Amino acid sequence: MSRLTLFYRLILRPLFREPLRTALTVLAVALGVAVVLAIDLAGNAAAGSFRSSIETLMGDSDLEVTATGGLPDAVVGTLATLPYAIRVRPRIQDFVTVVATGQTVPLIAIDLIGESADQQIITVASGEEALKYPGNLDGVWLGSSLNAKAGSTIRLLINDHVRDYTVRGVFDDSAEGGAIVVMDIAVAQNELGRTGRVDSVLLKVPDSPPLAEWQSRLSGALPAGAMVRPVGSRTSENQRMLAAFRWNLRVLSYVALLVGGFLIYNTISVSVVRRRPEIGIVRALGASRRSVLAAFLAEAACFGFAGAVLGCALGRVLATGALKLLSATVQALYVSSRPGAIELTPASLVIALLIGVGMSVIAALPPASEAARVSPMEAMSRGQREYATRVHQGRDMLIALGLAAGGIICAVPPAIAGKPLFGYLSAILLIAASALAIPAVADGLLHTSAHGLQKIIGVEGLLASRSLIGSLRRTSVLVGALSTAIAMMTSVGIMVGSFRQTVTTWMNDQLQADLYLRPAGNPASDQHPTIPNELADQLAKLPGVAGLDRFRAYEFSYEGLPATLGAADFHAVQPFRKSAFLSGRSASDVYSDLQGNDAVVVSEPFAHKHHLRRGDSITLPLGDRRVPFHIVDVSYDYASEAGYVVMDRATLLQYLPDPDPSNLAIYVAPGFDLETVRAEVQKTIAGHDILIFSNRNLRAEAIRIFDRTFVITYALEAISIVVAVMGIAGALLALVVDRRREFGLLRFLGAATSQIRKLILVEAGLIGLLANLVGFVLGLALSFILIYVINKQSFGWTIQFHWPAAILVSSLAGVFLATILAGLYPARIAIRLNPIEVVHEE
Amino acid sequence: MRNKLVWLVSCLLLNPLVMQYRSAVPGYHYEFPRDNFNHPDFQTEWWYYTGNLRTADGHEFGFELTFFREALTREAQKASDWSAPDAFVAHLALSDISGGKFYHRERLNRPGPGIAGVNAETGRIWNGNWQIDWKGNAQNLRAISDQFGLQLALESQKPPVIHGIDGISQKSAGAGHASHYISLTRLTANGDIDLGGKKFAVAGTAWMDHEFFTQQLGGGQVGWDWFSLQLDDHTELMLFRLRLKDGSIDPFSSGTYIDAAGQATHLAQKDFSLHPLGDTWKSDSTHAMYPIRWRVTVPSLKLIADVATPLRQQELAGNTGWSPNYWEGAIRLTGTRDTAPIAGVGYLEMTGYDRPVPLGQPLAEPLPGSSNR
Repeated sequence: MSRLTLFYRLILRPLFREPLRTALTVLAVALGVAVVLAIDLAGNAAAGSFRSSIETLMGDSDLEVTATGGLPDAVVGTLATLPYAIRVRPRIQDFVTVVATGQTVPLIAIDLIGESADQQIITVASGEEALKYPGNLDGVWLGSSLNAKAGSTIRLLINDHVRDYTVRGVFDDSAEGGAIVVMDIAVAQNELGRTGRVDSVLLKVPDSPPLAEWQSRLSGALPAGAMVRPVGSRTSENQRMLAAFRWNLRVLSYVALLVGGFLIYNTISVSVVRRRPEIGIVRALGASRRSVLAAFLAEAACFGFAGAVLGCALGRVLATGALKLLSATVQALYVSSRPGAIELTPASLVIALLIGVGMSVIAALPPASEAARVSPMEAMSRGQREYATRVHQGRDMLIALGLAAGGIICAVPPAIAGKPLFGYLSAILLIAASALAIPAVADGLLHTSAHGLQKIIGVEGLLASRSLIGSLRRTSVLVGALSTAIAMMTSVGIMVGSFRQTVTTWMNDQLQADLYLRPAGNPASDQHPTIPNELADQLAKLPGVAGLDRFRAYEFSYEGLPATLGAADFHAVQPFRKSAFLSGRSASDVYSDLQGNDAVVVSEPFAHKHHLRRGDSITLPLGDRRVPFHIVDVSYDYASEAGYVVMDRATLLQYLPDPDPSNLAIYVAPGFDLETVRAEVQKTIAGHDILIFSNRNLRAEAIRIFDRTFVITYALEAISIVVAVMGIAGALLALVVDRRREFGLLRFLGAATSQIRKLILVEAGLIGLLANLVGFVLGLALSFILIYVINKQSFGWTIQFHWPAAILVSSLAGVFLATILAGLYPARIAIRLNPIEVVHEE
Repeated sequence: MRNKLVWLVSCLLLNPLVMQYRSAVPGYHYEFPRDNFNHPDFQTEWWYYTGNLRTADGHEFGFELTFFREALTREAQKASDWSAPDAFVAHLALSDISGGKFYHRERLNRPGPGIAGVNAETGRIWNGNWQIDWKGNAQNLRAISDQFGLQLALESQKPPVIHGIDGISQKSAGAGHASHYISLTRLTANGDIDLGGKKFAVAGTAWMDHEFFTQQLGGGQVGWDWFSLQLDDHTELMLFRLRLKDGSIDPFSSGTYIDAAGQATHLAQKDFSLHPLGDTWKSDSTHAMYPIRWRVTVPSLKLIADVATPLRQQELAGNTGWSPNYWEGAIRLTGTRDTAPIAGVGYLEMTGYDRPVPLGQPLAEPLPGSSNR
């Protein structure tokens, strides 16, 4: 018998006979592969977009000079007159909001005169139009995707003001990764209120000496605070910052695949068990053990391949949705980004296929090797049609305990290269331990509850639990698949719920002001538009304003990672403002330490990333200087993963003298009516595009952003649950087909169709209950790993454990209900069986 | 006279508010070193260096380094380092005569935060890292580009020459259609040229023109031919002819003779003649036909000489579309003066050969076709 014939008889024919179950298995694999691929594609697209928004209009530049808070203009003159053949391209980068569409678009200001001979830049930036207006460069040049016409006007929101700008020219922005607005640098300084500074200077240096030599040569000619780095450094910094986030998301996406793996294992197990007679026959006819093994592995590979192919198509579709969610999260938590194009590369397709097939083959290995061990005699002897439950409960339980112990030990070691590898290992060990423990747990629970079930539900309860015990192995696999999905749901649910509660508590503590003001426009964690300081002065003088906090923020780079530098007016708000510090010291003590000193408070994620503690010293690049600062404390902070360094406003102004604040917080004096004060504030800021948030609004807004960032997590969980429930349906279907004799007999003995249905639904329900129980316990254990190991090592946040009871109960109940529903269709099939015919087969 | 920036004037300004600026009129009181530097009251100003150099082993070079200042506006602007009251244009060219190659670069900048400008106090005239540094009468030139660079110390052998009559060089009919035109006609030059990673120690002579004015040209002029000649009897000649639309020579063409002692004599159009001798070079990029062999006659000096170039391709075809195309290159003179043989070196500038230069009329569009894009 050729291998091909063997494969056809033993594998393909049975599969074609059960199209629905086959389809469900394929779909389960497909969903697993699709999720992995979608997260991968969306992650790449989201990360790829940094280049376009930050590093636009660079030409052939190979170095960039930057400084915290911008470079003094004079640096451009210094660079331009150095006796080297370098090309100098000053830049101001910010964001504007197109009022008509609400779209936030990068603003790139270039030297339209100096770069007019620079064909690399000017053709892109303005066509040849720029120099028609050298005496009057007022106006904007727009990317073609903004659909504006040269000569028209466009209304833009910049910082806190809206103005109409003449569109001087339109250029093709297809190579720039999306719409941009180009301005002359002189105009941009005025519009942004950033006279005297540019954000960066791009440099093209000769090929020799090497870049590193140019870096040090140029650093030597510039002020200490100026950083000279290869272009693209910011992109790689951002990507490094995002690495932990993407990594964890990717791991999460593999859970769906893992659940799919359980189902493949189950499917192949069912195949093996049901085809024991056939295996015996083909073995007796001379097929080798290896042929049998190969045949079942090939079956798994077929499932894997079909699933992966379908998964690739599905993944591409899911990626679009995932990208939307992902970029919202990235925007809110990390950097301003515009989603790039989703690129389905041959490499990612091949990887998806390999993952799908590989996972399937590995999952099928245990049942397939068991099939190979079947001896011809054993298989062909009569009376062997029951499931062989080669379950060594005792031994497995011991291994499970060992694995669990290993899992707990793995929670202790620190991160490796910033990745919580031991944390993941710990989670995997715990999942494996629970999988191995399931047979014993199921056996024990079902045995003890069988009679109780009979009392409550009737004879169907007893029959159902007996039947599940009878096919303990299959039961265990189903419970394993579903419980893994439930555990993931539970653990992530607890983690997110705890996180949410922690953030809420922190906000209640942190947000003490009554009114908050910031310039209009889309909020993003790395954009800090400003409000004129004169306006803040007027607000401070309003009756009823007891305190005004002027917070100023800058993005900066510390040791190769982006972070936010902030300054608060601690002097003005010391009596009002509160914060919690790791040391447990009172806020007013810490604030006193900050004032009048080169001292800072760093946020917990920042301290975590850079291994800093209270009492350490850090050197910050500030304007054109590098200044050592003393860390007076580490603050709890959940606003930014990149982290904060906060100093007193007076200290910051010494180094970066721009007084315009990015945010204002107003404390209303006791005895004054909030609404009256708010009306006064509103009147004062008339003509400026500034948003006012009440304390409650701001909290609601923050929680809304928080929830939005976890939507993708929930979506991933939901898919895993769907995969698991689909598996239950498929398995129950197989169960029904296998037990037609039993059902026939029952019917023959007088069981009503309703009793058969009830029997199957009870079995489904029992599987659901067991899975819920195991999944909940496992989930609880995993949530500890997530909160105290994986989160802490990846992001550095301290999360207080908290039970999101309502969410947990409702989702567990939902899953339970879904498992019962999954039994409905198999039940219908069972009812349709003709008892006479079935019994006749005997 | 080097009027190419006149194109820029018309290109750059939407509404040239000529009234904001001073015109070159008779009676200007020259004073040095003040008048070596900036005259922001005038709309246009340039500093123009050309020279013939050679290494000790006879490798010959020519160079041109030019700084233009063009006022864009004198209206009050918002205080910013980046506001642009002037545009600074600069041209740098190197003629590797022995190597048979010609290189040129252009740059345009606003003064910006020290990017380009003129500073009388520090004696600097610069555009990026192309600069002149005045130290007393000595001038240090330094210019660096991606392909070549030069560094020259210049020392003037003669006092400054003021061209024209009554301190103005009249270019067309009407008051103010003139420039204040100063030259250093014999500068010794010593320094280095960097070319393709090789350094050449060079010496030779250079010529400096400094001119400032407001809209000096009239209509009907289509181009010009300008000569600076340094003769081996230690005398110099500056001659130019303005070509009119009908092919005739504008009577406002003129020149100056500088004797060995540095005494300058004005030459009117009738006092000299410049005749192409039929040898032309056709540019591949602009298709212009440039006459590159000339007969120069100055009857009052009894000078009859032929002028030719050792390097035919010395055309600065506009890089950016914002400058006109022109030929400016090193030349050699041989002839007789008062029957005695005479030789010399110099520079020749020819404009308006690819298309008529629309002098005096504002251009709405940048010059088409002159870009490499």
